[in-house]
Amino acid sequence: MPIKFKCYICNSLFNKKLQKSFKYLVVLFCLISFRFQQPSNFDTNSKIKAVFLYNFTRYFEWPDKKKEGNFIIYVIGKNDNLITELKGLSGKKKVGTQDIEIKNSIAFDASISSQIIYVLNDVPKAVSEVASKHKNKGALVVSETAGACKQGSSINFVVIENKLKFEYHKNNAVKSGLKTNDDFKALAINVD
Amino acid sequence: MTHLRYIVKTIVASILLLCSSHGFAQVDKLIRAQQLLNTKSVDVAKLAIDSVIQHTQTKADFVSWTTRAFIYFEIYKRTDKQKLYSPLRDTIISSLKTSMSLKPDADYETNNKKLLTSISINYYNLAKNLLQDSVNEKRSAIAYSKYKEVFILAEPKANLLSKDIEYYSAVGSIYSDLFGKDKNNTKAEETAKIALFKVLELQQDNPSANRNLGIMYCNKATDLIQSLDYGADISQLDIIQENAIKLAKQAEQFMLKAYQADEKNHSSVLGLYYIYRILSNQPKVDEFAKKCKDLGIKLDK
Repeated sequence: MPIKFKCYICNSLFNKKLQKSFKYLVVLFCLISFRFQQPSNFDTNSKIKAVFLYNFTRYFEWPDKKKEGNFIIYVIGKNDNLITELKGLSGKKKVGTQDIEIKNSIAFDASISSQIIYVLNDVPKAVSEVASKHKNKGALVVSETAGACKQGSSINFVVIENKLKFEYHKNNAVKSGLKTNDDFKALAINVD
Repeated sequence: MTHLRYIVKTIVASILLLCSSHGFAQVDKLIRAQQLLNTKSVDVAKLAIDSVIQHTQTKADFVSWTTRAFIYFEIYKRTDKQKLYSPLRDTIISSLKTSMSLKPDADYETNNKKLLTSISINYYNLAKNLLQDSVNEKRSAIAYSKYKEVFILAEPKANLLSKDIEYYSAVGSIYSDLFGKDKNNTKAEETAKIALFKVLELQQDNPSANRNLGIMYCNKATDLIQSLDYGADISQLDIIQENAIKLAKQAEQFMLKAYQADEKNHSSVLGLYYIYRILSNQPKVDEFAKKCKDLGIKLDK
């Protein structure tokens, strides 16, 4: 039977050693640093609108005089993200053989000739003025204000169940001097 | 006859002396090992103590095993601290386990526990380094699991819930950040999601996990639309919008919980602003744009 051994002789010495070792035993938890990713600030609505606007060019035919020079998208109002996005579009796509050019002003400038006029919702009253001044001039009026088609807009962006859709007023497009495509009606919320 | 008795007596006495001297030799070795430990001659101390724990007389003594653990710890500190797999560390742990099983006195029990705690913290720090510096989640997870295993030996009643939350939150945040920087790194995305959902399993309302998941889903919705070609047709755009909306609604659920926990957290407020922008929810966009302004967060316009 093994003798129960207790090292009394060296116990005090050993404990001193342990005391000394305790100093080294103070090991601290290193804090784990967190890296927080940030939400992307990319404006998805502007991209969707740009894709829609480019799609619109496939469904309308502009008068011959508007098939020359650049294809101008004129934005009235302030939306920097949309302008950035449209400039991105203009650098990558063409309408037929025409280069896309983006013009922007805070208020309506009647002297600017364009194929598409996009009236932003910060200048809602401009819709009727734009529509009346561009009758038969071959400009597609696009807006994003409730009831804008009643004021002469041909296409009006609306949000339905979080999704961006568009209302279409064919008669207004015809009055603007554009040839329309009936396939387009199937894609839109028709309001005329 | 008397002569024979004398011879027997002498033989018995010699045997007893031999036995006890052998026993004392082991005691001597233990004292020697401890002295060598004191003088930091740990390699020689290791040889002595390895002999002590093999002898029947001393191997049943907790002092031998605790001494062995401390001697091995000195060597371990020198060479193996940064190693995930270390036979030295394993020896320390098994020696301490043996010492604990031999019912040590209060002092030795305390010393054993302190050494076990120290070893466990080394494992934790290793887990942290493997995660942050090497970005090796698998090895880090092994180290973290060992940390818990050893810590429980020292403190059997310890509740490691808060450490679990801290660790898995860190894994989630580091890997979601990696995924944010490289959208093709789907492995990082998966690792982040698993870790963050694990945190929510442990603590349903954990703000950090909710926020990170919210940001991940929000950014995924954004990426879906951002990567869209301008020439995509309207039906394609419709499908993409639908998928982005689903993702944004998932993001909203997580982000709202994070926001409710801290209404002044910039990432939560900004996250909700962007989520509602994806959802084209103008009243909410305006509400959170105002909150951003109140908190001094700059928004692009």
